[in-house]
Amino acid sequence: MVNYIIRRILLMLPTLLGITLLVFAIMAIAPGGVGASLLSSSGDLRPEERAAMEAYLNQRYGLDQPLPMQYLRWLNQVSPIGFAKDENGVEQGFGLKVPNLGMSFAKNRPVTQLVAEALPITLLLNFLSVPFIFVLSIVMGVYTARFRGQALDVGIGTANLALWSVPVIWAGVLLIGFLASDEYLNWFPTSGLESLQADRWTFLPSASGDGWQRGYLLDAMWHMVLPVICLTYTGFAFLTKLTRSSVLENLQADYARTARAKGASESTVLWHHVFRNSLLPLFTVAASILPGLLVGSVIVESIFSIDGMGRLVVQAAKLRDREVVLSITLITSLLTLVSYLLVDICYAAADPRVSYE
Amino acid sequence: MSEINLTTAVSDESFSRRVIRDTIRRRGAQFGLCWVVIVAVSGIFAPFLANSHPYWMVVAGEVSSPLIAHLEWADVALLVTFGAAVVVWLLRDCLSGFRAIGIISVVGVIASGISLLTVSPPEAVVFDQYRVGLANGDIESAVFAPVAFSPTDRSRDAPVPLSAPGALHWMGTDADGADVMSRMIHASRIALAIGLVATGIAFVIGVLYGGVMGFFAGWVEILMMRFLEIFESIPQLFLVITVVAFFGRNIYLIMVVIGVTSWPGYARFLRAEFLKLRKQDFVQAAEACGLPLWSILFRHMLPNGVAPLLVAASFGIASAILTEAVLSFLGLGLVDEPSWAAMLNQAVGPGGTFAVWLATYPGLAIFLTVFAYNLIGEALRDAIDPHLEQRPNP
Repeated sequence: MVNYIIRRILLMLPTLLGITLLVFAIMAIAPGGVGASLLSSSGDLRPEERAAMEAYLNQRYGLDQPLPMQYLRWLNQVSPIGFAKDENGVEQGFGLKVPNLGMSFAKNRPVTQLVAEALPITLLLNFLSVPFIFVLSIVMGVYTARFRGQALDVGIGTANLALWSVPVIWAGVLLIGFLASDEYLNWFPTSGLESLQADRWTFLPSASGDGWQRGYLLDAMWHMVLPVICLTYTGFAFLTKLTRSSVLENLQADYARTARAKGASESTVLWHHVFRNSLLPLFTVAASILPGLLVGSVIVESIFSIDGMGRLVVQAAKLRDREVVLSITLITSLLTLVSYLLVDICYAAADPRVSYE
Repeated sequence: MSEINLTTAVSDESFSRRVIRDTIRRRGAQFGLCWVVIVAVSGIFAPFLANSHPYWMVVAGEVSSPLIAHLEWADVALLVTFGAAVVVWLLRDCLSGFRAIGIISVVGVIASGISLLTVSPPEAVVFDQYRVGLANGDIESAVFAPVAFSPTDRSRDAPVPLSAPGALHWMGTDADGADVMSRMIHASRIALAIGLVATGIAFVIGVLYGGVMGFFAGWVEILMMRFLEIFESIPQLFLVITVVAFFGRNIYLIMVVIGVTSWPGYARFLRAEFLKLRKQDFVQAAEACGLPLWSILFRHMLPNGVAPLLVAASFGIASAILTEAVLSFLGLGLVDEPSWAAMLNQAVGPGGTFAVWLATYPGLAIFLTVFAYNLIGEALRDAIDPHLEQRPNP
C-alpha cells in the first residue's frame, strides 16, 4: 500500500508539470504575451517612459528571457526543492526552500496571500454542499431502487435529469431575481458573504441596547443559502442514479436472498444488509465530483460576487496575470489529483477485496 | 427491469438501424429530437425569421429585396448545407450513415469556402431606414419577416432598452434595446454550432487517440495514457477562460478549445472497447489478411466499438453548450453577436432590478437544449446496451 501511494505521488509530478507547461505555453504564445496588458494598463506613455517600464517589468519578472528559461524560473520558484535566494537576492545554493507562488502582476501582492484569502471561501462553500449532495442523493437512490419502476422512481429519475440540465447560471439568476431582488421577494442578500456591518457584530446572535442583531455566524449562513443551493442541485442526478443501480444490484445478490430466506423483513434486508454494501461505488465518484464543484464555484462565485478562487481566476485571466493563473491551475490540479488518490485509498480501506499490490 | 426475449428469430436489421429505431421509440428522445429540430430550423432560417430588412419592398415603383442583399456568407453556406442534408435524407436508402455525414460535411465546407469568397453584403447597415422610410412614405410598401428586428438592431429611431414583452417586441428588449426574440433566434445558431463542432473535434481526436492506444498495448499505451491524464486533470473551464482571455473572443477559437480539452473521455471509452475487440476473431482475421492498419482500426474495429462513444458525444454536446454559455455569462463570449447566456447575464441589473423576460426566455432555451441532448443521450444509452446503465462507474 505504501509502495502504491509513493508511486502514485511520483506519477503526479509529470502530470502537474505537463499541466503547468501547457498553461504557460498558452499564455506565452498569445499575441502580445503577458507584458502587453501590463504596458497598456499604465496608459499612454512617452517612448522613454515606455522603455523604462519595459525594462522594469523585464527585470522584475524576467520577461525578456527565452520562454523555456522563464518556465524553468517559475518552476524553481514554486518547487520546494531548488535554487533559493534570500531577501537580498543572493543565491543560497541548491536545497530545500519555501515554495513561493510569485507576485501578482496586476494586484502587486504575493499570490500566496491572494490564494490564502480566496481558497478557504471556495472550500467552505464546497464542504457545505457536499454533505447535502451525498445525504439527499443516497436517500433518493435507496428509495428509487426500493420502488423501482413505480411512480416515485420514474418521477425522481426524470426530475433529477431535468435538474441536472438546469444550467447553474440560469438557476443563479432566477434565485437572485425572485428571492433576492427588490422587485420580488427580498429574502436573501444578492452578493458577498457578509453584511457591511458584520465586522462590528458578535459571533453569535445577541440582543443589546440598540436592538437585536443577527451576529456574524447567522449572517454568513444567510448569505450562503443561495450559493450552496446552486452548488448542490446539479450533483443529485448522477449520485442518485449510481446509488439506485448499486442498491438494485445488491438486492438481487445471493446474500440478500439468504437474508430473506432466513425470514428477515424487506426493510431489514435493505437497511442492514444491502445498504452498507451499496455505498462503495459512491466513494469512487466522490473524487469525480470535486473538479466539477471547483468549476461550479467559478460560476457561483461570479453570480453571487463571492471572492473565492473561481472569481480570482476569472479576474486574473482577464488581466493576463500570469503568476496568478499558473498558481491557481497548479493548486486546483493538485487538489484534484490528491482527491483522486485519497479516494483510491479510502476505497481499499473500505473494501478488503480491493488491493493495489 | 428487462424482459428476456426468448424467440431466437434472426433479424437482418443492422445494429445501427436497430439502435436508431429503438432510440426514436423512446419518449425522452422524441422530445429531445423535437427541440433540437426546432433549434436547428430557427438557426438555419434565422435571417428569414427575424430580420429588420424586409423580404421585399417597393421604392418609387422599383421592387428590391434588402433581406437577400444583406445575407452573410454564413447564412448562404448554412442554407446550401441544409439543402444537401435534405437531398441526402431523400436518398437515405442508397447511402450508408457514414457516407451521408461525409457528403453533408464536404458540401458544407465547399459552400462555406465559396460563399466566403463571393458573398459580400453591404457593410454599413442602417436598420431604421425602413421604419423611417415607411413612416414618411419613401417606401411605398414592404413585407417584413415575422420578427421585424435584426439581432443587432437597437432601434436607434426610438430607443426602448429593457422594455417588457409587448405587441412590438414579443419577448421584450435587452439592455441595449435590441429585440430579445430576434436575438434568441439568431443565438440558436451559436448553440448548435458550438455543440456540434466542439464535440466533432473532440470525437475525432478521441477516436484516433483511443484507437491507437487500445490497439497497441505496452509502453506506447502507458505513455499515451500519462499524456491523457494530463488533459483529464486540467480544469476545462479554467483553460478555456485563459485561452479566451489571452487570444481574444472568437467563436472558432472557443469551439476548438472546448473540442481540444474534452477528448480524453472518448479516448478512454474507445481504448477500453478496443482492448476487448483486438483479441476477437474478426480482428485476427483482418490482420491475417494483411489489411493495412488504418483499415483494421477504423473499418473493422471502430464500427464495433463506436456505440458507447455516441452516448458520450450526446452528453458532450450538452456540456459544450453549457461551457459556451458560462463563457458568455462571464463576459468572455462573443462581442456583439447574440448569445443566450449573454442576455441572461443582463437579467439582474445593478441596483437590484430584475428583468424577468431576460431571465426566463434565454435561460429556458439553454435549459431545453441541454436537457434535449441529455435525454437523447440517455435514450441512446438504453437502446445500445441495457446493461451499460447498471455499470457503477463507466
